[in-house]
Amino acid sequence: MELSPKVEFLGLSFDVPVMIGTVFTAIVVLLLTVLATRNPKMRPGGLQNLVEMLLDFVRGILNISFDSKTAEKYLGFALTLFLFIFIANQLGVMLMVTTEVHHPIPSLGITGDDLEESHAAVWFKSPTADLNVTVVMAVAISLFAHFMGIFRDAKGYFSHYMQPNPLMFPIHLVDEIAKPTTHALRLWANIFAGEVLITIMITYGNPLTTGAPLLVWLGYSLFVGTIQAYVFTVLASVYIAQKTVQDH
Amino acid sequence: MELSLGTMLFQLVTFIILMLLVSKFALRPMLGVLKQRQDYIDKQISTAEENRKEAEKMAEKQKEALNEARREAKEILERAKAQKDREAEEIIKEARERAERMLQDAKSEIASEKEKALKELRDEVGHLTVLLASKVMEKELDSKDQSKLVDRYLERVGELQ
Repeated sequence: MELSPKVEFLGLSFDVPVMIGTVFTAIVVLLLTVLATRNPKMRPGGLQNLVEMLLDFVRGILNISFDSKTAEKYLGFALTLFLFIFIANQLGVMLMVTTEVHHPIPSLGITGDDLEESHAAVWFKSPTADLNVTVVMAVAISLFAHFMGIFRDAKGYFSHYMQPNPLMFPIHLVDEIAKPTTHALRLWANIFAGEVLITIMITYGNPLTTGAPLLVWLGYSLFVGTIQAYVFTVLASVYIAQKTVQDH
Repeated sequence: MELSLGTMLFQLVTFIILMLLVSKFALRPMLGVLKQRQDYIDKQISTAEENRKEAEKMAEKQKEALNEARREAKEILERAKAQKDREAEEIIKEARERAERMLQDAKSEIASEKEKALKELRDEVGHLTVLLASKVMEKELDSKDQSKLVDRYLERVGELQ
């Protein structure tokens, strides 16, 4: 496994490739959406068409679990989430930057022990292939959903845990914990596994034997990245809707 | 791979900032233009519908007007035909009356002329008789001369007749 450079700041540790990837993805998403809508026209063309299509697509996702009026409120969230994860997923497939490290670099969190394991330090990869990213996204969405549920109807929110009888409380608890966990792990595992396989095929394989499978796998990874972005967005909207919409 | 709070916070903050920026600078103008387009399409469709209704009404009106015109033309034609018939009849009747009158006039003229001739004749005969009588009285004529005289007068009457 490659090494991941880290920096310490205010007593917290920051993962450098994740920061680079996240900022890069955010800039791409922002450029794409802002350029497409910088001069919106009544007759769409080019990039505007693409973003309008995406908007319709995201609206379709939200309409699965919300009524159309509530769906409009979450449009910005869902559009950003889908685009962010979609582009983040493709980053590692398109481009991965690693460097050779021969000496320990304490300022980047690379110690002698780490060098025993590997000499490759990764600088650029999919942020969604890092567990931190998917966990924080899933947990934030889950917490948001719970807070919204309490804020909207506290009595209904808590009584839900006792339905159909108090004996079900532990099962509800497991359910609520399992939701963000699976939400995070599903995305992370799919993208991480894709990148691991790409790395293995490039570094350990002979191009004659792994060249063709690599091409197939790259194509498949693009597909998986798209599907996982869709799934993550759908689940996010479903989890929020479960807590905020009365009859579910 | 261990979880680190710093990376998580960085990711969360980046995402939230991105979400706010996208919502403010991309989504809002996009939704605005979508709304505008929706309104425009709505307006266009309702205008088109109105226009179609108007056109239908107009066509109906025109059809009615055409029917009206056709009916009027027929009426006029019929009236003209009736008038023509009436006039022809009148002319014939007048002609016939005139002919009758002329015939009547001719007949009455003939009758009056005949009457006049007869009256003249009678007057003449009377006159002659008086003349004859005076002549007889004037001259005492012998019977031979008298018969000769009567014959002569009778001859003259025959010529006159």
